[in-house]
Amino acid sequence: MTGGAADAPGPGSAGAQAAVLARYDELASLLGGMDDRPGADPGLTAEAAPVLLHEARLLDAGRFEDWLAGWTSDAVLWLPLSARAHPGTDQSLLLDDRRRLAERVDWRREPSAWGQNPPSRTTRVVGSIEAWAAADGLVARSSFLIDEYRHGRHQALAGYQIHELVGDDLRRRTKILVVPALGTGVRNPSFLL
Amino acid sequence: MTAIDSGTVPPDFDYLVQPHRVHRRIYTDPQIFDLEMTRVFAASWCYVGHESEIPAPGDYRTTTLGLRPVLMTRGRDGAVNVLLNRCTHRGTVLAGESSGCAKRFVCPYHGWTFAPDGQLVAIPFPADHAVEDRSTLSLGRLTTATYRGFVFATLNAEPEPLDCWLGEAREAFDTIVDRHPGGDIAVMGSPHLLEFLGNWKLSWDNAADGLHATFAHESYNTLGEMVDTETVLARDPGSTPMVSKALRNGHMVVDQRPGIPQGPWATMRRVPFREPLESALVDAGEESLLDLATGSMINLSLFPNLLFVGNQLLVIEPVAVDRTRLQLWLTSAPGAPSEIDLLRLRVDEDFVNFGTPDDLDMFERVQRGLSIPEMEWIDMSRGLPDSDAADGDATIYGPITSEAPQRRYLAHYAKLMTTPAATRAL
Ligand code: FES
Ligand SMILES: [Fe+2]
Repeated sequence: MTGGAADAPGPGSAGAQAAVLARYDELASLLGGMDDRPGADPGLTAEAAPVLLHEARLLDAGRFEDWLAGWTSDAVLWLPLSARAHPGTDQSLLLDDRRRLAERVDWRREPSAWGQNPPSRTTRVVGSIEAWAAADGLVARSSFLIDEYRHGRHQALAGYQIHELVGDDLRRRTKILVVPALGTGVRNPSFLL
Repeated sequence: MTAIDSGTVPPDFDYLVQPHRVHRRIYTDPQIFDLEMTRVFAASWCYVGHESEIPAPGDYRTTTLGLRPVLMTRGRDGAVNVLLNRCTHRGTVLAGESSGCAKRFVCPYHGWTFAPDGQLVAIPFPADHAVEDRSTLSLGRLTTATYRGFVFATLNAEPEPLDCWLGEAREAFDTIVDRHPGGDIAVMGSPHLLEFLGNWKLSWDNAADGLHATFAHESYNTLGEMVDTETVLARDPGSTPMVSKALRNGHMVVDQRPGIPQGPWATMRRVPFREPLESALVDAGEESLLDLATGSMINLSLFPNLLFVGNQLLVIEPVAVDRTRLQLWLTSAPGAPSEIDLLRLRVDEDFVNFGTPDDLDMFERVQRGLSIPEMEWIDMSRGLPDSDAADGDATIYGPITSEAPQRRYLAHYAKLMTTPAATRAL
């Protein structure tokens, strides 16, 4: 903690840091608590499925602007390097807020972003969907397989994703992608979203 | 196809590595790669890990030295050991996890048991086993030395002392460590691992390449324009006062500090969660510490396997002649306010996500280009002739567009390959 600021919490100082840590803790417990959840809620699972499948279709089609529009203003996309990670103590591949997500979409459109020019062509298979009730929406876990084709080669990565979807239109507030192969070394993973 | 390309001609490194050009074969020939695993990676000091990763007796971490699986352990006496991760019975790799804490290493195959310092302490059913002297069956032990907590090891039979081997590189090394409060730098666990389909030396050709940022990283620089940040890479490489240095033993330095008088933090764009953490430091009157959240703006490369980039350590692991793994370790500043490490986590994602993919793509493109047998040479002549520094040390200075660092490390490489140092059998 920063000395001096501790006794005067408020916006812009220690209170602001606490808010960051609270969001990080929320992410870590969403990830860390996933395996302890009971069986899913069938109705919510049915509600979550088309949202998850639609997202996968948008990403595979390269419709990144449409994809960006489906996030809340306090959005976080997190790719930890392991399922035991915490965003405040462990390196991640990425942890994007809404502003960074917008930059990332711009980057995907930038011809000199050589890591994605030519762009990866991806095929996602999303399955094993489960969902549970959460404040103002639902939390869903699903497994995925992504096949990436680029520069005449392909690589396939499997993993699972956790979505926190909120509001009547089930916008993405949180998405966590867990890709075990990141722990062994993958080639240019910049197609992962 | 020329004879030199066939792989049947013993490599002549005076021919393959010339002052102004380099032959493609050193990047494509599996026979040369095999020689490198001994003549470079066994004969040089190599970075293994940092003491902060193994604070308690029994803590260990695995890595490779060349292709050899090795273990860095902390013994019961508190000393750091670097051992071959190979059972002396029939060769089984002992520790399968990348890190952990073990009082003893028990081989999963037949139960031979080793202490963290490598001594064989137990053999099951010893009655019918004729071993007289167990001490001859200790784990293979590498010569180990540390500098500022960084652990290096070698199989060289008569290694130059680590301090001498580092030589002039110690100045940049000390600067990087000493900017941490109390000189206290630590390495976080769980590296980020990336692979590329290219030779390991491609990352060396890139490490002190001040010219490529303008082109290969153009998108990193324009991404910064979205929020009016002039990233450090956006400077004109032809007229910047930044300087590159080619040091003895293949080490290299690019000092970007002269090109950013307003300090590193001013070059950092709005990474996620920046503002609340930044304002907490500003409100506490510790604004001057913000530069600690970015790198030192000195790229230090210690041949053959350690690069300091930003606040990360990049460890270069050769996998095959055309395949390389990069370990990216994040350093922390235990003596600084907690906001610094929280910022570092997000700051180092910036380049890894929007810069590193460019480099990975260039490495793979170069490797594919070098597959053409009829085009034999890589041009490395930019900035020739090289001139030694006026003060007569062994350092060559140049503008960051000079390829002097590449020439110098490759000359060192050629020397290692031509006159192999004796390495120890274990
Ligand atoms: S190989 Fe290790 S005990 Fe047999
Ligand atoms: Fe680069």
